[in-house]
Order: sequence, then structure tokens, then C-alpha cells
Amino acid sequence: MASRTVALDRGRSGGLPGLGWLAFALGAGLLLAAVWNVWSFPLDGVPPACKALSLGLIVLGLGTGIYGLAALARRMTGVIPALLAAVLALITVEGLLRAYGVPPGLIPTPTRVVTALYNSRTVLLGDARVTFVQEALLGYIAGVAAGILVALAAVRFPFLERGALPYAGLFASIPIVALAPVIVKAFGLEWPSKAIIVGITVFFPVVVNVVRGLQSANPLLLDLMQTYAVTPAASFRLVRVPSALPFLFNALKIGSTLALIGAIVGEFFGTTGQGLGFRIQIEAGRFNLDIVWAAIVIASVLGIAFYGVISWLEARFTGWHASRRQPR
Amino acid sequence: MAQPAVHLKDLNMVFRGAQGDTVALQDANLDIQQGEFISLIGPSGCGKTTLLRLMADLITPTGGELLIGGKSPAQARQERAYGYVFQSPALLEWRTVLNNVLLPLDVMNTPKATRQARAHEMLKLVGLEGFAGRYPWQLSGGMQQRVSIARALAFDPSLLLMDEPFGALDEITREHLNGELLRLWQETGKTVVFVTHGISEAVFLSTRVVVMTSRPGKIEGVVDIDLPYPRNVETRESPRFFELATKVRELLRQGHGFDADD
Amino acid sequence: MIKARRPVMAGSVGPMIIVAVIALALYWPLMLWVNAGAAQRSLNSGADLGCATAIACATQLRNPVLPAPAQLGSSLRTMSLPPMAPTSVPYNTLVTAGETIVGLLIASVLGIGLAVGLVGSRAFERVTLPWLIASQTVPVIALAPMLAVVLGQYGVQGWLPKALIAAYIAFFPVAVGVAAGLRSPDPMQEDLLITYRASGWQTFWKLRLPASLPFLFTSLKVAATAALIGSIVAEISTISFSGLGKMLAENSRASDTLALWVIMLYGAGLGIALVAVLGLIERLVTPWRAGQSR
Repeated sequence: MASRTVALDRGRSGGLPGLGWLAFALGAGLLLAAVWNVWSFPLDGVPPACKALSLGLIVLGLGTGIYGLAALARRMTGVIPALLAAVLALITVEGLLRAYGVPPGLIPTPTRVVTALYNSRTVLLGDARVTFVQEALLGYIAGVAAGILVALAAVRFPFLERGALPYAGLFASIPIVALAPVIVKAFGLEWPSKAIIVGITVFFPVVVNVVRGLQSANPLLLDLMQTYAVTPAASFRLVRVPSALPFLFNALKIGSTLALIGAIVGEFFGTTGQGLGFRIQIEAGRFNLDIVWAAIVIASVLGIAFYGVISWLEARFTGWHASRRQPR
Repeated sequence: MAQPAVHLKDLNMVFRGAQGDTVALQDANLDIQQGEFISLIGPSGCGKTTLLRLMADLITPTGGELLIGGKSPAQARQERAYGYVFQSPALLEWRTVLNNVLLPLDVMNTPKATRQARAHEMLKLVGLEGFAGRYPWQLSGGMQQRVSIARALAFDPSLLLMDEPFGALDEITREHLNGELLRLWQETGKTVVFVTHGISEAVFLSTRVVVMTSRPGKIEGVVDIDLPYPRNVETRESPRFFELATKVRELLRQGHGFDADD
Repeated sequence: MIKARRPVMAGSVGPMIIVAVIALALYWPLMLWVNAGAAQRSLNSGADLGCATAIACATQLRNPVLPAPAQLGSSLRTMSLPPMAPTSVPYNTLVTAGETIVGLLIASVLGIGLAVGLVGSRAFERVTLPWLIASQTVPVIALAPMLAVVLGQYGVQGWLPKALIAAYIAFFPVAVGVAAGLRSPDPMQEDLLITYRASGWQTFWKLRLPASLPFLFTSLKVAATAALIGSIVAEISTISFSGLGKMLAENSRASDTLALWVIMLYGAGLGIALVAVLGLIERLVTPWRAGQSR
């Protein structure tokens, strides 16, 4: 309660929202002016005067923009302040890189990345299909399915729970990079080897969490089912399964990030010439960092979308759960 | 005369443990008639919850005879002869209030057409018809416990087993729910076995109060409560109420070296 | 009648050993089966494996699908001795361990600093937290090869870039975990300190920081594995002269399956050891949680 009151007080002292927007727009405008000022020069040909002017504009624009953003962020919730911050950061980076004439082989400017994203879209989308659909998604589904089956077995047979479950915790702390080359060697360069890596990384958190979830059922509810004289199967379905859902979704969310990491790392150890991880490694070696960044952007968008879908499903199926009760 | 709702004869329950056996219930004898409101009262560890769980067939006695409406507890459970209300509301947090009340009707395959109407009727009985669509966490503790009572009544069992249902509530809410429960009992004519450690609660609600003592858990005595109906606020302040409460308190003290009022 | 949950490890040792024995017993026929197939293909192509039948060859292939225990044992021995030679696996494991630990230290400092900022200012939190969460859903590992290139061009070489990449990958979980921990005190505990008229700093040192320690360790355990992956990937993508990643890259190129298995075992051991050490430090630093933590 106390913290909520404090937050409200702070919100009230935030000043006028109009002023915040004004300062933000002014800052963004100054930053854009700084970019425009050095836009047309070649890399090492930025005149010192122009460079100084741009730097000055950047400092001024960033200061004004952050001031406005701070005022806005005090009264706004949701993703808008974060998006505005990204806008400021991207224009600033663009301006700084251009003012200092940083070669794109070192750090490409955001506009170059967008251009590369557009120019290489066919190749990158093909890579994304291999990495995400074939490797990450198929591996994920297989890993989750296997994890749930093993968790059910572990709950059914206490011997398995005590004998095999501690290993699952242990395996979770093994770095996948060490596992990946062995699996790629054993199963070949095609996409299945990467799907297997993904499956293994997703499997362990699912087993551990689902077992914990199935055991988290309130004993009173199990007693209640007994007083209704229902079959053990019905009791399992009515009490244990819903109790385990929040735990399962937690594992699914962890798994969604692990899946992409597993697929990308797996590709570092050999592919048939397609995949985001392959693209990142090969183009980083050729100093085509704009394509590398473009691939990273695609991987990030896929990662966030994957996570978002799981979160949406979680909200839909476990909206009743305690973790959703906070107003935020 | 009809079968007693609950019949126990020389009932024993011994829990075997690593540090030796615990006699949770020793030679308990009691007959509860149809339509009675019986309170089991005693300090912690006197076996009152054990006795209730024995009646509910959640545990099996180690000796003696126990019949629920003339049948074995296992058979009574298979026939869904009783409703059980726990110390905590024990609602399924993923179901709305209405769906919690519907739960026993769902699992017992009652006719689909009447389920909804029945559940709404039960919610009305406990005064929560406006909360059907809420989730349990959106209700206060007292309201949650009323949902759990509605759930126990939903499939119309003739026997209601209640394990300290109001134990976790504040005094004001508890007295209010006492009145509600009494009204429900009079309206439905069910047999109620009610575990509590509140003396005034037991005296106010019951037709008879069964006083139990601990180590080993056994029945110390039974007090007939002859307070007139309707019982209300004045009942709690009548001299007869105090006499009966004193009688219960004395029985509790007899079985103990210490003041069992806590 | 709520039963106390027994600790996970208690009474598990026996079943764990039995499960391990069963797994090893199943491994032998599986190994023979998959390797015999590979050996048969080689024999059919006319290669001289120095043995007559596929089954006889299964335990002595130069590049087995699954290595025979004896093969693995001898490779383990030759690659581990002498332990401190630049080409031996223990030495390279220590190099990677050093990078990872330095990376974790940097990540802790950065992560705690960021967490203090997140908890200190709502506005700061609203601007950055969505990105922190988004960054956890992003395969940050994809950044490692590129970071390696950029750092290399600025002349940052040797073990430092690996540690920096490890830190970069590990500091997000630390920041998010510690921020949750700093917020974890009960409002009543906060009110208690308000009644003492404690200053903001006192509340921070006496209440928020101790309350966040268990969260710090939980997230450090996650971060340790992430940091280890980070430093190994960094070793693969930069010019390195030592480390598990360099050995993995070399032997992957040379298709030396047995060596890859040995390196994998060491990597797995290092990952488990790092988490175990963190667990040990956790016990020392948060003794009040003894027996509570998982």
C-alpha cells in the first residue's frame, strides 16, 4: 500500500503533459537537424565546423528530449515511453555515427541497417524460416511435449521423481554451446540437428516446472475431490492440471527464449548454408555488419513475437492466477 | 425410528509414526439423529477433525464401528451422502464463484438443464447472487467461506460436515455467518456436524455440543442445548446461554489440567 | 493435514544412482547400434577400418556417432594430461572459467546499478523496463560475434572482450532479478522503518538490499550459464589462443568427435561447478534462508 501511495504522489508532481510532448518534439527535432546537418558528407569528409554543430545539436536535443520524456514517463504507463526512448536513442546513434564518420564496417547506422533489411529481405526471410519455423518451433514443440510426458511419468512414479529429476536440474546448467557441436556431428548439418538442440534445451525447464506445478495442488482440493468420490483421473484433470498451468506457462516462456538461442548457437557449428545464426557468423566475418544487425533485428522481432504469443495464451488460460492480480 | 445420521461405537483411530503411535481417537461412542446440529468442541489435538475425516472416509478407522445413515463411510462417500466444508474455503481459484458451486454438480453428472438454476439458487441462499461471475480472490474471506458452504449444499446432501469453517474469520463476521448457518439449517433440515473451538459459537448453533479432550482424544461429555428458537442476538445474552456455555467450559476443564478456553 | 514438502535431494541418492546405472546400461547397446550402422557404411565403401565386422568396429571408430566408454576414457586421459599444458582441456577450461567469472562480476555490478535505478525512479523504469524485458526475449547470443568484431577493432583483445561479452549477456537477468528483489519487502516492513524515521539510505541498506540477496543469487545462477555460453561463443567468434570455445571451434572444423565429447564433458562440468559455487556462496551470504531455498 505504501509504495502505491508514493507512486501516486510522484505522478501528481509530473507537470503538464503538453509541456512534456513539446520538449520531446523539440528534442527529437534538434536531433533530426543534427543528422540532416552531416547527412550528405562522405565518411571521412565531415568538416569540423559541421561536426561541432551536429554534436552541439545532439547534446541540446538529447537533453531537451530526455527532459520531455521524463515528464511524459511520470504520467504515462504502457510501452509508449519506452518506444519514445527508442526513437531518441536511434536518432542520436545515427547522428553520432555520421558526425564522427564511423565506418559501417565497424558500426552501421540505423538507416543502413534498415536499408540492409530491405535489400536482403529475401535471403533473411529464408534464413528466418529455417531458423524459426524448422529449428526453433519444431524443436520447441517436441521438447515441450517430451517434457510434459516425462513430468507426468515422474509424478506417477515417485522413484523417477527422486532418481531422475535432480539430473534435470543439473542438466539445465550445462552450456548448450558445449553440447551443440557434438549433436551437430551426430545428426548432421541439416536442420534436424538444430531442432534436437532446441528440444533438449527446452525439455529440462519444462520437466522441472511441470512436476513442481502438479505437486503444487492444494491438498484440501484433493480431499474435496475424494469427498465427491470422483475417479483419480477426474481429480487429476480438475485439480492438478489447472494448478500446474501457471508453472507450465512459466516454463513455456523460458523455453521460448531458449529455443531461438539454441537454434542460433547450433548454427554456429555447421549448417547447409541457411539460417540466421549462420548468416550472423558469416557476415560478421566479412564485416558486413549492416546485414548482421538486420539479422539480429529479425531474430529479436521473432523472439519478442514468440514470447508475446505465449504470454497472450498465458493470460487467456491462467487469467485467474495470483501473479495477474497486480493492477500493473 | 429412522436410522441415525451418524452412528459410532467404540471408534478408535491410531496414527502410526516414527516416534511411536498417536491415539487420535479412543473408544468414541455417539449417535447423531437426522436433522440434528451437533458441534464437536475441544482443544487442538483432541481428535475432532480426525473424527470428521473418519466420517468423510478421508481416513479409515483402526477399530470400532462407524455408520453414516446405516452405511459404511466408504459407501456413503460413493453415494455422495455428505457435503464437506474445510477450514479454509478451498475454492478452485481458476473457477468463478458460480463455477465453483457448479463443480460438484459437474463431477456428479446431475442433469445439465437444472445445474445452472441450482447453483444460482445456492448462491442466493448464501446471499452472493451478485457475485457469480467473480473469481475467488476478488471476494473477502467471509464471502469465500459462504461460497464453499453453497458448494457443499449444491448437490443436496442430507449430511453436512463442517471443519472449523469460520475459524479464520473475525468475530463480527463469524457471528453474522453463525446466524446465516442457523437459518440455512432450519430451512433445509439437514444434519450438521460442526467442528469448532469457539464455545459461544457451539452453544449458539447446536442442538447438542460434544465436548472432546486430548491425549488421547476422546469424548468427555455431551451437553444438550435447550435454547429456544428462533435464536438471535438476544439468545446470546440470555442467562440460559451463559449457563450452557459455563457447562461446556467446565467439561473442557475437567479433561484438562489447564484452561482450555484458548 | 498439509504435509511438509520434503527437500528435493533427501532420499534421492539411491534412486539417482540406480537411474544413472540404468542410463549407462542402456547407453552400451545404443552406442553399438548407432556406430555399427556407421561402421557398416564405411566397410561397404571399402574403407579399411582394421577390423572385420561392423560390430567389432563399433567400439573403435575414429569418429563414432556415440563414443564407446573405453574410447572416451582414453581421450579424456590424453586430453587432460598434463593438466596445465596450453593444449590440454583442464587448462582451457580454467581460462574460460576466468573469463566467465570476471564477466559475472561485471554483470553483477552493472545489473545491481541498473536495478537501483529501476527501483529508484518510476519514470526511468517506464522508459527502460520494457526494453529490458524485450531484451530477455531476444536471442542476445546473436550479438556476440558482432560484439567480438567491434571490440577487436578498438583493440580490446585477449580475455577482456570475452569477459565483456559474458557480462553483456548475463547482466539483464541480474538487473531484472535484483529489481524484483529490491521491491520484495512487505509494505508492513517498509512502514516499520518509516515509524523508525529511517532515512532512504538506511531503508535501502537495512531492508531492501538484504531482501534482494536471494533474488540476486537466483538470477546469478541463471546468469552464470548464460555468461558461460557468452564467453564460449566469444572465443569461437574472435581470434583466441585458448579457451573451451577455441578448442570447440578447432575440433569442430577438424571433425574430431571424440575431442568434442571430452570438451563437452568439461564444459558441462564447468557449468555445474559454477552454479554449485554460487549456491555455496548463497548459503554463506544468506544464512537465514538455509533449508528454505530449493
